[in-house]
Amino acid sequence: MEHILSILIFFPLLAGILGFVVDKNSAKAYGISVAAVEFLLSLWLWASFDTTNAGMQFGEFIPLISQFGISYNVGVDGISLFIVIMSALMTLLGIILLDESKIANMKNMIVSLLFLEMTMVGVFLSLDAIIFYLFWELSLVPMLYIIGAWGGPTRVYAAVKFFLYTFAGSLVMLVGLLTIAYLYHLEAGVWTFNLLDWYQLDLSVGLQFWLFLALFAGFAIKVPMFPFHTWLPHAHGQAPTIGSVILAAVLLKMGTYGFVRFSLPLFPDASVQMIPFILTLSVIMVIYTAMVAFAQKDMKQVIAYSSVSHMGIIMIGVFAMNAEGLGGSIFLMLSHGIVSGALFMLVGVIYERTGTKIMSEFGGLASIMPVYATVFGIMLMASVGLPLTIGFVGEFLVLLGFYEVSPLGTVLAGTTIIIGSIYMLTLFKRSFFGPVTNEKNRNLKDLNARELTALLPLVAIVVWLGVYPKPVLGPIDTSVKKLLVDMEYKARTPEAKETIISLQRAKEEK
Amino acid sequence: MIGISHYLILSGILFSIGFMGVLRRKNLLMLFFATEVMLNAVNIAFAAIGNYYGDLSGQMFAFFVIAVAASEVAVGLGLLIVLYKKYGSLDLDVIATMKG
Amino acid sequence: METLVYIALFAPFVGSLFAGLFFARSPKNIIVGIVNPALIFISFLASVALAFHVAEYGEVHIKMMDWISVGNLNIPFGFLVDEVSVTMMVVVTLVSTVVHIYSNGYMDHDKSFNRFFSYLSAFVFSMMILVMSDNFAGLFIGWEGVGVCSWLLIGFWYHKKDVTPDINPAISPSYAANEAFIMNRIADLGMLVGLFLIYWNVGSLQYDVVFEKLPHLADGLLVSIAIALFIGAMGKSAQFPLHTWLTDAMEGPTPVSALIHAATMVTAGVFLVIRANPLYSLDAVAGVSYFIAALGTFVAFYAASMALVNRDLKRIIAYSTLSQLGYMFAAAGLGAYWIALFHLAAHAFFKALLFLGAGNVMHAMDDELDLFKMGGLKKVMRGTYIYMGVASLALAGIPPLAGYFSKDAIIETAFNEGTYILWFSLVFTAGLTAFYSFRQVFLTFEGEERYKKYGFHPHEMYKYVLVAMSPLAILAVVAGWFQETFHEFIIAVLPDYEMSHHTHHNAWWLGLLVLAFAVSGIVIAYKKYAQKGENAFKQDAEVENGFLYKLLMNQYYVPYFYVEFIVKPYTVISEKFWAIDKAVVDGTVDMIAKVLYRTGDKTRTMQNGNLSSYLNWMGAGALLLILAAAVSAVMG
Repeated sequence: MEHILSILIFFPLLAGILGFVVDKNSAKAYGISVAAVEFLLSLWLWASFDTTNAGMQFGEFIPLISQFGISYNVGVDGISLFIVIMSALMTLLGIILLDESKIANMKNMIVSLLFLEMTMVGVFLSLDAIIFYLFWELSLVPMLYIIGAWGGPTRVYAAVKFFLYTFAGSLVMLVGLLTIAYLYHLEAGVWTFNLLDWYQLDLSVGLQFWLFLALFAGFAIKVPMFPFHTWLPHAHGQAPTIGSVILAAVLLKMGTYGFVRFSLPLFPDASVQMIPFILTLSVIMVIYTAMVAFAQKDMKQVIAYSSVSHMGIIMIGVFAMNAEGLGGSIFLMLSHGIVSGALFMLVGVIYERTGTKIMSEFGGLASIMPVYATVFGIMLMASVGLPLTIGFVGEFLVLLGFYEVSPLGTVLAGTTIIIGSIYMLTLFKRSFFGPVTNEKNRNLKDLNARELTALLPLVAIVVWLGVYPKPVLGPIDTSVKKLLVDMEYKARTPEAKETIISLQRAKEEK
Repeated sequence: MIGISHYLILSGILFSIGFMGVLRRKNLLMLFFATEVMLNAVNIAFAAIGNYYGDLSGQMFAFFVIAVAASEVAVGLGLLIVLYKKYGSLDLDVIATMKG
Repeated sequence: METLVYIALFAPFVGSLFAGLFFARSPKNIIVGIVNPALIFISFLASVALAFHVAEYGEVHIKMMDWISVGNLNIPFGFLVDEVSVTMMVVVTLVSTVVHIYSNGYMDHDKSFNRFFSYLSAFVFSMMILVMSDNFAGLFIGWEGVGVCSWLLIGFWYHKKDVTPDINPAISPSYAANEAFIMNRIADLGMLVGLFLIYWNVGSLQYDVVFEKLPHLADGLLVSIAIALFIGAMGKSAQFPLHTWLTDAMEGPTPVSALIHAATMVTAGVFLVIRANPLYSLDAVAGVSYFIAALGTFVAFYAASMALVNRDLKRIIAYSTLSQLGYMFAAAGLGAYWIALFHLAAHAFFKALLFLGAGNVMHAMDDELDLFKMGGLKKVMRGTYIYMGVASLALAGIPPLAGYFSKDAIIETAFNEGTYILWFSLVFTAGLTAFYSFRQVFLTFEGEERYKKYGFHPHEMYKYVLVAMSPLAILAVVAGWFQETFHEFIIAVLPDYEMSHHTHHNAWWLGLLVLAFAVSGIVIAYKKYAQKGENAFKQDAEVENGFLYKLLMNQYYVPYFYVEFIVKPYTVISEKFWAIDKAVVDGTVDMIAKVLYRTGDKTRTMQNGNLSSYLNWMGAGALLLILAAAVSAVMG
């Protein structure tokens, strides 16, 4: 299986195309089997992954337009490995959760999802800027369709806003990418879009600054960072459950992944220089959106805003410039994907039953749907970062790592553990505690087999990786250390060298 | 002595007259006349400058313009007649159908 | 030995899973009621065996596996059983065993019987992790674990509806649960900062490594670490100003109050300070330690004062817990760690007993908590009366009961350190303690039988429950007699604390003074509340409208202050932020889109189909281009 990465990328595409000829009634079964195969393939990738190797593995290189150095170039390292696995997992579970009686035109849904899966996996595996950009933009299309076709009342507004907003940002990013290629051409005399070649490019601090900003436009809108986050509540508010799950679990991670894969190694000096800026935005993100989440009446909007708030913590970790913080933020990407995905699934479950997401319509659900309440409670605790759940490990590491950069910033961002629990517990109290206020809810059924199949694996992962995160943290740690060593080596300014704590320096200090 | 500048001034005046006609006139036929005036203004400039430099290609180009203008008028007048038959008027305000 | 450690640790966990996974949805199952207490009891036996082992051979230190390992950070699941942790283990498992058995009777009629046991055992497990862990991160696991179990258990009767509060801000169990969790989280942030500071300056979170390297750190840094960790301790141990959650936590079932909010979890903060004694006894942090002692003394008095007037059976005990935690902090802050730990253990016994007794009363009185509706219950509840009487005597510090020894030692410490203001406050508070404890006991069991007026039919608790409570009663009496044994046992790890000659010399009158305060407190309480007939206690409207009474009854208006100046503004600001988010942040984006759209819409009129106006536009454009060309030619 030399071409495992290509298979991972293009198997969903082929299966999606084949999906058009599949019988309507067996579309869901088809989707599940394809997604399951894809997930197993990703697990196989993990099994054959060399955890001691920090570099890119399973690389494939096929020149496409050699005049401009554009090539099909993919590879996987510890940073991208688990995000790919998570994408495959969340797609699989999302498809399992689909209710055939509620989703009109299931076949189109399955095809869109498989197409989306291809673009997601593609983004995380590409090592060529053009291919990366291609998958990056392509991922908008199926999501646009999913929101626009199966969404709520103002779905068109939400879908168009999502598309145009992120598209506008990524165009600026494209300009940045082309400029890097041009600068590389000036320097080396050849055209290339190969990311690994770009890593060798030595840029002046001024250029780094502007290029950082150009890429920032694309990544920050995707994350979404404050103040570019407003497309997200609309998109989540209107998207069907499956759309929200994928959006929150995977698509947002593309932004933070972009920072890790592009901004940090390409512009180490600018990254260090921008820490105060990123920190300010992130702290605002963490506190401000958490407070907005508290004010929401709609359960799904609470989760949507909480997503933004948690992404702020991830951003801080990315710019912690040490292995603890950066490794933690990558772990937090996974944990946020799993937890917020599960939370959106749970909101979807109650929405399918009652047709509403407004918290005041609920109350006392814990006594009607105890299993549902239990699963929700576990995810809630993971979301507020309870130790021995998946949420704690990443959050703890990020805050720990960032403390070295800015103690005050860490304390401010650390308020997330307080205000995060405020809005989450308030949500739980309003919906699940108290007497049953709405008589219509008395006869609600608890989770059925389909929903449990989708949710229990997530519960298991939440506990497993909370208690024993080592299998995931190990490869992440290895690759992150290499990244930091490269960054420190490449950094020009003494401040940057000072701030980036690679393992080598840590050893020297000892 | 009549020099190049006189020719060019005349050409400029003629061109401006034609240009004003194009801008201000509402009758399609008048617009045609105005365009012809502009074309001929350019022809004068071509001929004069060609003579000034002793280069025949200016006058050649003027002939070329005359030929194009003649064929244009032939086609254009035909279209005008059809338009007039259809709308009963050549007033631009009346025949404004391609409103966006 | 390793096996014993694992048995002690995981037996409660097994119990929790057993009750939670197999019986969560079934009605009350007596198997759960037997298996869970039995498992806790096994854990207790293992802890006792470990205690003997530790006394004999010293500490047991084992590492189970790695937990988090990134960069230079390496946090294992490691367990350290030394004199301090084994004391805590024995206390925790002993009280837990009694509370588990007790819950069989107390939760008899509850439909969520099995769920209750699952939570309760999970709490014991978390508490065991907290005390047994060999590093700060492991401590934090247990720290948060007990927090979440406390959340589950306070909000156990989640189905109760919110009622508008009259005096207490708690409006329902679920509200109280959230309040407790969130307030603890505030403190946890401080604790996390402490961990970060330790990690970046020491490079490890293991106790042994940290405590070894601490003396080499800069003074300012040590002070920051000490403050940060103590903020964490303040939350768990409900020290001012993070104390309001503890009284509201009384919304939970009474066994929970006995176990979590009296005997074990709330003492975690004290445990942390004791555990970190190498830090707090450094000269550099003497200021912080003194602050801890002063704050402890203040809370001791502050909480006792609120207990004086309260009418709620459980809240009085909660205040008293708060007050006794203050005593423990006072001792720990003054450097008498072993005395603090001794008081912690003794307090766990008699306070749990007091709470369980209160539970019996509630059980008898259909969950009524108002003391003014009780009275004269001794006729029907003799056993409970004896238990609560013994516990209150111990709490008041009457010899030869446990409280006399432990509390007296703390007061003596304050004298010994020459902090006479603290000393006198503690002595005075001891008098208050005796008064409010016996006010409560007498209002409940002596005097007129006021309950008859309200139509209650009280009855004594089940026999086996009373028997199960007896270990606590016995320990409340005899625990103090083992002070010297405990002292010798514990100084293997904790710094010894000896009274000076001067103090020894004065010990007799110091003791007598405390005793005089305590006895007079009891006598006043008896005079006022235990009489019958003419002198029987009556509510006095004049007193109740007095400023002081209202101040105390409203808890110094602190909860009111929190609601008015923190909760409400937070809500308002959140709403404002949401409005801003919609109007300004999202509005800007929409405005950009609208400007583009409007521009298109307005300029559409250019496309009016009129050839003449097209030509005008064209002319204007041509002129503009010529102009641009001319300008650029001139500018050159």
